Amino acid sequence: MNDVVGSVSRRAFLKTGATLGGGIMAAGMPLSQAIWAAEGKVLTARANQDVDKLDPAFYLGAVNSEVMSCIYSKLIRYKPGSEWSWELEAAEKIEQVDPTHIRFQLKKGIKFSNDYGELTVRDVKFSFERVIRLDSPSNFDWGPLDHVEVEDDYTGVIVFKTPFAPAWTLALPYGAGHIVSEDAVMKAAKDGGPFGMTPTAFSGPYVFADWKPNQHVLLTRNPEWSGPKPGFDEIRILPIGDIKTAERAYQAGDIDFTHISVDSLANFKSNSPADTTIEEKPSIGIVYVGMNIDHPKLKDINVRKAIQWAINVPQILDAAYAGQMEVATGSLARGLIGYRDKALVPPEGDLAKAKESLEKAGVSDFTVTVDCLNQSEFLTIAQVLQAQLSQIGVTAEINAQDSGSFYTIGMESEGDRWKDMQLIVQSFSNVPEPYYFSATYTRDQIGKWNWERFSSERFDELNAKAITIDDPNERAKLYREMQDLMEDSGAYRYLTNGASPFMYRTTRMQPATRPDGVPHYVAFKPV
Amino acid sequence: MLLYLIKRVVLAIAIVVVAVTLLFLMIRALPGDPAAVLLGPRATPEMKAQLHEQMGLDKPFVVQLAAFFGGLLNGDLGFDVFSRRPVADIVFEQLPYTIELILVSILWAVSVAVPLGCYSAMRRNSVIDQVVGVVAVATMAIPSFVVAVYALLIFAVMLGWLPAIGAGNGLWDRLIHLILPSLAIGISWVGYVSRLVRASMLEILGETHIRMARSFGISEWRIVARYALPLAILPTVTILGVGIAWLLSSAVFIEVVFARPGIGALIVNAVNTRNYPIVMGTVLVTTFLIVAATTISDLINGALDPRTREKL
Repeated sequence: MNDVVGSVSRRAFLKTGATLGGGIMAAGMPLSQAIWAAEGKVLTARANQDVDKLDPAFYLGAVNSEVMSCIYSKLIRYKPGSEWSWELEAAEKIEQVDPTHIRFQLKKGIKFSNDYGELTVRDVKFSFERVIRLDSPSNFDWGPLDHVEVEDDYTGVIVFKTPFAPAWTLALPYGAGHIVSEDAVMKAAKDGGPFGMTPTAFSGPYVFADWKPNQHVLLTRNPEWSGPKPGFDEIRILPIGDIKTAERAYQAGDIDFTHISVDSLANFKSNSPADTTIEEKPSIGIVYVGMNIDHPKLKDINVRKAIQWAINVPQILDAAYAGQMEVATGSLARGLIGYRDKALVPPEGDLAKAKESLEKAGVSDFTVTVDCLNQSEFLTIAQVLQAQLSQIGVTAEINAQDSGSFYTIGMESEGDRWKDMQLIVQSFSNVPEPYYFSATYTRDQIGKWNWERFSSERFDELNAKAITIDDPNERAKLYREMQDLMEDSGAYRYLTNGASPFMYRTTRMQPATRPDGVPHYVAFKPV
Repeated sequence: MLLYLIKRVVLAIAIVVVAVTLLFLMIRALPGDPAAVLLGPRATPEMKAQLHEQMGLDKPFVVQLAAFFGGLLNGDLGFDVFSRRPVADIVFEQLPYTIELILVSILWAVSVAVPLGCYSAMRRNSVIDQVVGVVAVATMAIPSFVVAVYALLIFAVMLGWLPAIGAGNGLWDRLIHLILPSLAIGISWVGYVSRLVRASMLEILGETHIRMARSFGISEWRIVARYALPLAILPTVTILGVGIAWLLSSAVFIEVVFARPGIGALIVNAVNTRNYPIVMGTVLVTTFLIVAATTISDLINGALDPRTREKL
């Protein structure tokens, strides 16, 4: 019976159904690609959300950036593999001339689609300066960019007001580094302003052929593309918010590449779908327990230290992630500049030290609140935290909230809720540049995104200095000290940097991802 | 009948206005700022202020509400500043997917449930009636998302017969993509409607005009179809009208489980990101749908049974 059932493919089932049940009707209907489509070099992959902005000056989130990297060129891009580095893309060569100047030479013959001509330094200048001119959220990526000098059509110089090391790890190879056509954007949007989801010219190997909101993004080969031919004729990216649904969709054969949840990882490893490879990559995000330093209950550093020491991180990770996550040593994940070998407080904590700290503070048997997102992993973290704190006589009350409410708890601009915030299970995604993390915890961010209200003059000094240093080893020292300062304030207990496991069908592709598992579709190869 | 129709339509408009106003109040009472959620951690206060201004959030609440209803009179649901598209375009782009899901679910459920209910009533207390009764109660007790997950595992993952996600392209493909989601939503309605039809039918079958029809020697099936069912179906029509609200809430889960586009998924995303223009647009449209469905079911009832018109 199993053999019979197993031998009935979806295509056969649907064909039979159509013939028997609605053959006459179906004869006059457009038949689905899913049923009778010819097999081509098509890559079907899952994205965790839909695209919403394909404008490099206003992009937010990884999915927009993944699609933009297929349809626009950048001077350099992250190199696929297991170590963070970059490789040339639209640039023939590029070099740091001095601390504030980067000279580049463009490859010749890169053309924009729709007859917008060749990509020249004029377009590079327009694209990069536009981010600053429009005062978009992406201008953080470009830091102290001043302007781009045009030497000729193919040679230019990026000029910064002050040295800016993140240019190489954030601005150039990521979202805000994509190059758009000046002519096309000026035509599409008033004064070259935001054009949202209506890009009109493409400089990458693919064009944005079709978008059905909440259904799919369709990328097809750019006929004007003169660079190395990408492997797939067509890329279909399906937005599937729920990761479990994505796993089922993969098993059903609807997609060929998807990230999987950490709690499903063990199951898939022991019982993987046919022709499937599962790869585990470390994520570069951070999940931590934060404490509001300005709250009367947590003002005393000894109370905060007590909570730090009472938290047993491996226990939490076992419960929330089935033990599949590595313990974080700090905000910066392994492989990033500034990664620490170990945290100041050992992962297991120490209840004796926790109780000792509470005695020093002269408090006992008090109640704290724990705010978290209403998602199972964060609720589990909060519940284990609740149990662990009870061991030192601290009662924790959990306030789970939806994302709209949660992401404004600590903001002074949103009322007085920040005053009541005490403990928080916080989670941030990250980019492979430590400046992105450190800028959140400076004093000018207190009440904005620095919800723990951590305040350190030394931290701010180091943050400002670190972006001006070229030498990665020297930079790393500063970022390590910054994380030490944060942890030593007692306001942070790092849990995990996360994991980014994914699976793909080996009969369809050889994928290419960044070290953190983010797909680099252009470099995927069909099998 | 015309007066009844006018009364129903006026009442429906009043309900929409009150419901939308209440929802507007409730949504604004929730903590959260769309600028914070959607502009991300790198947004400056100036950028947030600009977004607030674009969304009209810098104006007093009453002005915002008046602007919303004022726009409505001109057929304008507002503008989504994030995607830079009219809200009406976004909502009406997603709406057909939800409507087709609900309609197909109702259609298959009713076409199975009504004959089942009639048969159970005709063979009251028979083995088949009892089996149908047990199965009906069981299907009513199972939440639609549980059916969805199992249906997906069996028919999409294990057997590979049907697609797991999406809505499909072209008529045939869209129908194929509707099988599992509509099964999940409709199955509990089969149980519910069949029990309802059975109970009504039993009541009607005991009435004088039915006994008289039997005395004339008319066949039992003809009596059921011609004389009993038109009356027995009335409570079902009413319930289906009210059930649109329930079906819409089921659609929210189902659209997530099957990664289908639709109004449910749109509402969830918009509420989470406090995207007020989209929330208001979707709420208005869904409220309108629910009120329209109940009004239509009342009008059908009024047409089938003139006594109900006098109650308004």
